[in-house]
Amino acid sequence: MYNSSRLALYHFWVAFAVFLPAVILGVWQMLMRSPLPAPFDDPNTYYASVTLHGTVMAYVVTTFFAMGFGYAVTATSLGRPVQGITAAWIGFAICLVGTLMAAAAVLSGNSSVLYTFYPPLLGSAWYYTGATLLIGGSMIWVVLMIVNMMAWKRDNPGKPVPLAMFATAATAVLWAWSASGVEVEMIGIVLPRAYGWTVQMDAGLARTLFSVTLHSIVYFWLMPAYIAFYTLVPQAAGGRLYSDTMGRLTFVMFILFATPVGVHHLFADPEIGVGFKFIQSFLTFLVALPTLLTVFSTCASLEIAGRHRGGKGLLGWIWALPWEEPMVLAVGLSLVMLAFGGGGGLINMAYDMNLMIHNTSWVTAHFHLIFGGAVVIMYFAIAYEMWPRITGKPLLSKRLARWQLWLWFIGMFVTTVPWHITGLMGEPRRVAIFDYSDPLLAPMVPLVVLSVIGAFILLASAILLITVLVRSQLGDTVLQAPLRYALAVNPPIKVPKALNGFALWNVLLLMFMIVEYGYPIGQFFVLRSSVPVYEVAPQPTALGVR
Amino acid sequence: MTELERSWTRIGWMSFAVIIVVSSLLGFVVLSRYQPNDEPLDVWGAICRGLGISFDKAASGGAQPALSIPTELAWTQATIDQIRAGSAERGQQIAAACDACHGGSAPNPGHLIPTLDGMNAAALFKQLADYRSGKRLWSVMNGMAQALSVQDSADVAVYFASRAGRLQVDPDQRVPPGGHGLRQSDTGARLALAGDQKRGIAPCSACHGPGGYKTGAPALSGQYAEYIERQLGSFAQGIRHNDIYEQMRAIARQLTPDEMHAVAAFYGAQDEKLARNEQSLAGR
Repeated sequence: MYNSSRLALYHFWVAFAVFLPAVILGVWQMLMRSPLPAPFDDPNTYYASVTLHGTVMAYVVTTFFAMGFGYAVTATSLGRPVQGITAAWIGFAICLVGTLMAAAAVLSGNSSVLYTFYPPLLGSAWYYTGATLLIGGSMIWVVLMIVNMMAWKRDNPGKPVPLAMFATAATAVLWAWSASGVEVEMIGIVLPRAYGWTVQMDAGLARTLFSVTLHSIVYFWLMPAYIAFYTLVPQAAGGRLYSDTMGRLTFVMFILFATPVGVHHLFADPEIGVGFKFIQSFLTFLVALPTLLTVFSTCASLEIAGRHRGGKGLLGWIWALPWEEPMVLAVGLSLVMLAFGGGGGLINMAYDMNLMIHNTSWVTAHFHLIFGGAVVIMYFAIAYEMWPRITGKPLLSKRLARWQLWLWFIGMFVTTVPWHITGLMGEPRRVAIFDYSDPLLAPMVPLVVLSVIGAFILLASAILLITVLVRSQLGDTVLQAPLRYALAVNPPIKVPKALNGFALWNVLLLMFMIVEYGYPIGQFFVLRSSVPVYEVAPQPTALGVR
Repeated sequence: MTELERSWTRIGWMSFAVIIVVSSLLGFVVLSRYQPNDEPLDVWGAICRGLGISFDKAASGGAQPALSIPTELAWTQATIDQIRAGSAERGQQIAAACDACHGGSAPNPGHLIPTLDGMNAAALFKQLADYRSGKRLWSVMNGMAQALSVQDSADVAVYFASRAGRLQVDPDQRVPPGGHGLRQSDTGARLALAGDQKRGIAPCSACHGPGGYKTGAPALSGQYAEYIERQLGSFAQGIRHNDIYEQMRAIARQLTPDEMHAVAAFYGAQDEKLARNEQSLAGR
């Protein structure tokens, strides 16, 4: 792994170190919302906990994991050391400081604004500064990924960039576009108010800017999983990648369609006209295309492996796959969760059907199933694949790892299926207490209790994950086979420029952004719709003035 | 550039154009036209609606209800700056007149005169403004307030806010004592801390404390129960109507006389009430 081992390991450590506490918070939140007794029975703690759980899972775990994975892929796929290693460590430090600042602000009870910030709610300046540093620090990683890919292209003229590196650089490009929304919101609107340089906030503008990030960040989260689908899964299954071009096309389409669709998170907001809501809903359906391509390609790669291993008949190849490999098991479980979660997502992205489930626990259930389930289970598999390569110590053990993956899969379904149903029954999300004696809410009780049971299964799985990683870390060093990426059935010899770089797609995305977001953002400079803020922090009420 | 390269660029730009044209036509011309209860809009109207610009083509023909404005004050930054500019020293001189009735030692037999020591400045400032403009009616106070300028009101509001007294305002206390409001056995405590979801009654404490305080809402912990009860009755009957968006009238109309009494008693004697509730919760 050349010079990237320690870098990747530190990033993974941070990601998994914050993961377990965040899972515990999640379980407690489920308990708090349920009719069962919960410790620290207090709504304000609940909102602080929601903020911390969301911030940690959405920003910290994902960003650190993606960065660590990116460094490891850069070194291994290009077969040479990562350039700019010092800058990478500086980026790591900035992200870590940002994380600690944000966590301190939330724990002090001064920033229960949820991870979506919700202006004109206003939390502590520490929280926003921390979040800005975390996201800003990750931009160093973005630059390094692109620089490394470009340097390799310069040294290897005419050769196709390895798919794993191409996909990682695509993730970086996507994240740069995605993060631009939240960074502009923070630096232009929220931070000046949090530090007291301005007196009001334009909530509509802030929300619209955040929507740029809101959906594309999801694709930033799932890119490591998709990279594994294309480059690690076929190898682990003992086969070949079905199509290299399909992989390139998938990642290019994510760059194109992940960002100009965020307004579908604002369907119920008054500040955007119905025309833009429809257009972005329309584009959201196009984001399903790369996922469908990926499912097809992954299944085809698995079939190649299964038949290579002697599987016969229409479906016989499925049983011939090496299911004892965590990576193969994880991809099977992941695709099942992806099917259900993606199906639910079609409801969310449809302009009119969205109104049925807006702000209900259906939404929470959806993104837990698809991100917490389908994507995070691949994070686990990647960690199991990477850990021996980084530490030089074998995984202890594959059996425990399989248990962990199965428990996560079962726990996620037991949690989210009832959660979807209570959402359809009208249960709002992000609410701390419910009066279950109400005849409208009483039928939800068995479903809510079932969800809590699922949450505890997830907790057991998370503990198992940490156990496996720590045990492996403490084991003896044994010589490990190097990380190999799957070969394509038809390995690329010469690929068109458009699929070996991002210039064309960046220009097209810029055009999409101008058409899709130019007016929705520009209108606020005419409307001048700033409002006073509502501070979350305890107020000097003697004056009663904010 | 080879033919292959050119075709990728062409496919990219063609797709972009087709997606934008088709989705824009559907979004701005077709779907924006149709309305639930009215005739479809013309194309120009549909495009404006799609952009989020809406306008009525003609005034409604029916009779309009008389415009009623609950208060002449709005919580703009200008108002808040006015209050912030108040001076407690000047306020103290003006408050000498207030103390004749609102002071701790003043005769207040029925407890119908509220205590003001520790009251939020914004709440006091708004009530003085409403008395001055006649939006809240009480002959003595209308006369008093008309004698005060806006600056005087801010001064006296800031002065009372700085004075310690019966009102218990604890800015650090964000949590209702006793945890879940829903599990409070006392009617007053339950309404104050949890409200009543079935009737759409928000918890009093969300705006009046303990726990949350909103701009312009007076802190109630320690206020005289008799005064609170009378105000709830006045809101319910519409005698008092200076609440923005009818927030208080909408809630008070839903309360029974017994519930008004219970809520008033909860706030009026907060310490011992809460202590009792905590005991009952602990014994649960």
